[in-house]
Amino acid sequence: MKILAVCGFGVGSSMVLKMSLDKVVKELGIDATVENTDISTAKATDADVYFTSHELLPELQESTKNPVYPIKKYMDTAEVKEKLNEYLSEKG
Amino acid sequence: MSTVRLLPSENIKIVDKQMDWKEAISLAAKPLLENNNISQVYIDNMIESVEVNGPYMVLNDYFALLHAKPGVGVNEQGMSLMVTKDEIDMLGKPIKIFLVLAAENSDSHLKNLQKLMDIFMNEQNYQDILKGDKKRINKIFG
Repeated sequence: MKILAVCGFGVGSSMVLKMSLDKVVKELGIDATVENTDISTAKATDADVYFTSHELLPELQESTKNPVYPIKKYMDTAEVKEKLNEYLSEKG
Repeated sequence: MSTVRLLPSENIKIVDKQMDWKEAISLAAKPLLENNNISQVYIDNMIESVEVNGPYMVLNDYFALLHAKPGVGVNEQGMSLMVTKDEIDMLGKPIKIFLVLAAENSDSHLKNLQKLMDIFMNEQNYQDILKGDKKRINKIFG
């Protein structure tokens, strides 16, 4: 599974989101790779699931058919875990 | 590179002053401007980014990781930290910790930022930083 963490410039916030996702992926024991990038690159990059901010959500949703989940606080692993679990249960 | 060089004590400020979020960004980035890591353009771009994209860089309660496009107005990568005694409203989100990141390109700073974020992700450290105890903060990043 490929997970993409997305922010405006792909240098700071998305890397922190990737760190949170990496922690949760490890904790849940999922076979997944997590990458981070900026919004423009993300639009042209395939991933199974995307995580980004509420602000960037509509723009990203327009360019992919795959699910995009908004995260309020990128450092909040509890929130990230909840959203990742949501994706996993919807994916079935 | 160690975090000591990444966030030297002269780049850490504890501030007890009322101001708006734009002034706060400028003040938080001031050490980088004075050290010539960045030019005024970078500060203006950070402010513009918040205005255009919203405060999505608020990564946790009271914590904003501020940055703009890498390489534009950046001479040398660097980071600075400002903690305010009172919360400052950034378009609806209350902030007390302003961490400024200036990157030359998309990946040069990643290892350093990762090390720094490991520190912030520790709950005890985070609470200590939030309290704005300069001695303790210098110790955390020392």
